[in-house]
Amino acid sequence: MHEMGIAQNILEISVEAARKEGASKVIRINLIAGELRGIVPMQLTFCFGIVAKDTMADGAYLDVEEVPVAGHCKNCNSDFSVEEYEYVCPKCGSPNIELTGGTELRIKDIEIE
Amino acid sequence: MKINVMQDVLQANDRIAEENRQLFLKNRNLVLNLMSSPGAGKTSLLEKTAEKLAGKLRLGVVVGDLETTRDADRLSKFNIPAIQLTTGSACHLDANMVASALPHMQLDKIDILVVENVGNLVCPAEFIVGEDYKIMILSVTEGDEKPLKYPLMFHESALMLINKIDLVQYTNFNMGEARANARKINPNIDIIEISCTKGTGLDEWIAWLVKHHQKKLGELSHA
Repeated sequence: MHEMGIAQNILEISVEAARKEGASKVIRINLIAGELRGIVPMQLTFCFGIVAKDTMADGAYLDVEEVPVAGHCKNCNSDFSVEEYEYVCPKCGSPNIELTGGTELRIKDIEIE
Repeated sequence: MKINVMQDVLQANDRIAEENRQLFLKNRNLVLNLMSSPGAGKTSLLEKTAEKLAGKLRLGVVVGDLETTRDADRLSKFNIPAIQLTTGSACHLDANMVASALPHMQLDKIDILVVENVGNLVCPAEFIVGEDYKIMILSVTEGDEKPLKYPLMFHESALMLINKIDLVQYTNFNMGEARANARKINPNIDIIEISCTKGTGLDEWIAWLVKHHQKKLGELSHA
């Protein structure tokens, strides 16, 4: 249930950003969540609904955009998506790769009024 | 109106983790974030580690437990500083919880600080607490497919200890499969097979600790 703590953080960041703009309400939050973060969108939106109650983000729509795991091979310079958590380059077989996607957990933007 | 935010959701945690890390640097502590599922042997490992490190390196423990102080009680028998964080219903330790324990520890009298996380294969991997390395225990009674089911933890860990290998004959745990599954997710992960009850592999684990402690001191002297 790390979703509850994450929901709380999403709320705090969004409310702070909205306040800075002088807004009175947060209507929508667009979140980017890497696959490796193990976020269950349904659970996260449910938790968010609870923590946002009676705040300026009460009733805000939380959109979770899931990002697949992606890698870059340092050996042959190719970029690829990581399937089935197979952390080797599909082109040259090298395990010398770096992750370029899949670990992010970021609020992209919010809609306010 | 749409406004760009572009903020990491866990930045509040990460900021406190960085403060913890600076404090650990100042006190020359090697800090390990120890994770596993419940009952895999985290506290048993620390009991054995306290025994084996006695007189060599000074161990300290911050332990997260849901409602009891049983783990800290077990560890205090070994004369090592152990602070219990009763986490209530929280499923993991975060940087702030760990920070709250630190004023109660004499960090300058500790060489290796182990943060014993709450037993859980999911949430603890999400939150950095200021550690040098995440390490984990997988016990043979849990099954060799666990790396594939909980990839983040295996991906984030520098070391996987496979515990309870004395019981492997009573299970369908396939050691080769477990190692291959972990390496698939994290090609650089160190793997040590141990049995806390029989003492198997513990010398290799202690050697890992000593090596990484020396490495940390080396980095500090170059900093």
